[in-house]
Amino acid sequence: MSVKEEAKNLLGKGMDGVLFYQMKDGSAIPHLFTSKDIDEMPDVREIPDSERYPLSDILSKLLMRFSSAKFGIVARGCDERAIIELEKHQQIDTSRVSLIGFACSPELAKICSCSKPYTESLADEMNEAQEISRGIESVERMSTPARLGFWLSNFSVCVKCMGCRNICPLCFCKECSLQDEDLVESGVLPPSIPTFHLLRAIDMAGRCVMCGLCEEACPAGIPLRTLYGKVSEIVREELGYVPGTRGVKSPLEELGSSVGSDDDLKS
Amino acid sequence: MTNSIGEISRASLLLVVGSNTTENHTVISGKIIEAVRNGAELIIIDPRKIQLSQISSMHLRNKPGTDVALLCAMMKLIIDEKLHDENFIGERTEGFEELKASLGNCTSAWASEVSGIPVSEIEKAARLFAGAENASIIYCLGATEHVSGTDIVRTLANLSMLTGNVGKPSSGVNPLRGQNNVQGACDMGALPNSLPGYVNVSDDEGRKEFEDLWGIKIPESPGLTVPEMIEQALAGRMHFMFIMGENTVLSEPNSQKVIEALKNIEFLVVEDIMKTDTTDLADIAIPAACWAEKEGTFTSTERRVQHVGKAVEPPGDAKSDLEILVRLAGIAGAEGFDFKNSREVFSEITKVVPAYAGINYERIGTKGIQWPCSSPEHEGTVFLHEKKFTRGKGRFQPVKYRPPAEVPDNEFPYVLMTGRNAFQYHTGTMTRNSPSLEREAMYPYVEINPSDAQKESVKGGDMVTISTRRGQIRLRARVTDAVCEGQIFIPFHYREAPANILTSEELDPEVKIPELKVCAAKIKRGQSRGVRSCNNTFLNSF
Repeated sequence: MSVKEEAKNLLGKGMDGVLFYQMKDGSAIPHLFTSKDIDEMPDVREIPDSERYPLSDILSKLLMRFSSAKFGIVARGCDERAIIELEKHQQIDTSRVSLIGFACSPELAKICSCSKPYTESLADEMNEAQEISRGIESVERMSTPARLGFWLSNFSVCVKCMGCRNICPLCFCKECSLQDEDLVESGVLPPSIPTFHLLRAIDMAGRCVMCGLCEEACPAGIPLRTLYGKVSEIVREELGYVPGTRGVKSPLEELGSSVGSDDDLKS
Repeated sequence: MTNSIGEISRASLLLVVGSNTTENHTVISGKIIEAVRNGAELIIIDPRKIQLSQISSMHLRNKPGTDVALLCAMMKLIIDEKLHDENFIGERTEGFEELKASLGNCTSAWASEVSGIPVSEIEKAARLFAGAENASIIYCLGATEHVSGTDIVRTLANLSMLTGNVGKPSSGVNPLRGQNNVQGACDMGALPNSLPGYVNVSDDEGRKEFEDLWGIKIPESPGLTVPEMIEQALAGRMHFMFIMGENTVLSEPNSQKVIEALKNIEFLVVEDIMKTDTTDLADIAIPAACWAEKEGTFTSTERRVQHVGKAVEPPGDAKSDLEILVRLAGIAGAEGFDFKNSREVFSEITKVVPAYAGINYERIGTKGIQWPCSSPEHEGTVFLHEKKFTRGKGRFQPVKYRPPAEVPDNEFPYVLMTGRNAFQYHTGTMTRNSPSLEREAMYPYVEINPSDAQKESVKGGDMVTISTRRGQIRLRARVTDAVCEGQIFIPFHYREAPANILTSEELDPEVKIPELKVCAAKIKRGQSRGVRSCNNTFLNSF
């Protein structure tokens, strides 16, 4: 069954809209299809690999704006992982969401260094997930001064466009530490080295679902997949947590929610 | 650009002159960074330290306005050491002997004296440039906003031809345009001396073709440049002016004079997407649609004709530029303006501008197409001048170094340079309405070298008064080694401290570009405000 037919089924079952892309002037643009225009929904193969958006973030905003509506979403593996992770952060109410999954093209999966370029619903049909390097090994093979130089030279070309944060499906904070004057001085380029990038890396630990949108958005070509891949590796190895998987919250989030409560402080 | 943006990353050497690329052309800066990562040499000629300086092979921080001297000395050395490309010069160019003769006195020692760059550095840069497989020059307003602006462009073209670095991939002369559609506007003849497709108005044959097409008589002498219009307005000879999308009050040199001139115009109409200091002076201000609210094409700095679609309706009474022009023309009784949409305009463009002849909306698609594109079969042009130059052979044009018009003296001991920062754009009419950009660079500031700051008893964050022969402004000091001793830098985005109150209106005699990058200024300390200075100290510790 095509995604369009699946989407029609969802609309028939009372969903208010299905989020996917529409093709306009040859470009893919996120679009909420309703019963009025569902026939125009393109096939997944029509969406160019290079044109991705954080659909999960758009879904989250739609759910907040229309507080009783239910939406479907045609999702890639990374969209699904982001939705799962966002739910753990109370940003998405998945009881109001139905997911139609699809698999990315092998070419895109390779570009993204993605070990799971499909949704869970398709996991049985897919080959065993492969371990992907994301360039971590080659950086780790460098001597410590060379590695420091590698990151400093990468950070020194940052133009503070905020593209990495703005495109990130997991960056939903109202107040952003990157805009805290005491941490990152405003109006200065490159933004405070290494604070700016390490702040973001720390925020990504236990959150990053490896969609790679940040690296694609970066005009300075900073290898953000490698950086966030490394912090994710540490969280996985030390704390056993993989963002975007169903079940428990990230141990880093647990720290914040229970230990930091007022009751604990009083006692 | 004679090359394309995509070619930059494959160059083996990039010479960046007067361009703070990272802050002003960020995407192109990304390509330069990519080139350096691919092993390219990067030579920067710029008085100010820029972000690219951190990854450059050489940064020649010459005295402002001395680029021509530096480049002439580089050319002389290249010829003296026989590093020039004899084959290319022989087959593709003329006037080499005149160029060679003109460089007779341009020794490295002389250029070193003029520019403040050591002889060894000048010679090293010359040898690196001449030895590169694919050398590309990138320049911007830091090179051209001088009384010798035209000469510097000629010099860069001379250097490129001398070393055979033009007409092949990743080798050429590449001016970076300051707005998304400057290239397109120039292509369409939005210049005082040109008709669409760069047909000079004084070219009888070319002019006649347009007269026949449009059924009107076209004046055979060029119109006025902006600085000339200001002069005419001041003299009371300008009765009507229509300004489209320019905040002239803040963007032209010597603002006080500009305001006086605009007030002296009988009937001033200003069209803009925002309320500005210039719309405030207008008898009638017309609200315009922004890029996302209209449909048409933009031609980018790499000659790429791109389609822009209408994403949202314009707010309130705002109208697209096309609709405004068509309706104004109708009221004025002009014929030939009955275009229903941009597509119809584009269709006329393809008829009158040969470089656009083979382009249509379908071919533009989502990727655009680069002119020249002469027929529907032509694929567009990635880089110019492959087999021959537009005029046939490339002519070397000897240039003689001329110093800036207003140099420092005892009363005004500092060289003032103006420019932009990454977070604001031009006179801030758009960016200053963006809270996230505004929070990055909210206050006007002047960059002062630490040793000058000490001399003037100024600390970072102090309020200072900067004055020149034309006026004065008060703003905060930012103490930084981004500027050399004896030089100060002020971004011109801020209406509360407009840099152009200070700037000189000395013009390049040929194209009338004002010398916004050099004038003489002095610093006077005001009361302290205790705001900390801006230095990226962590980076300096490595």
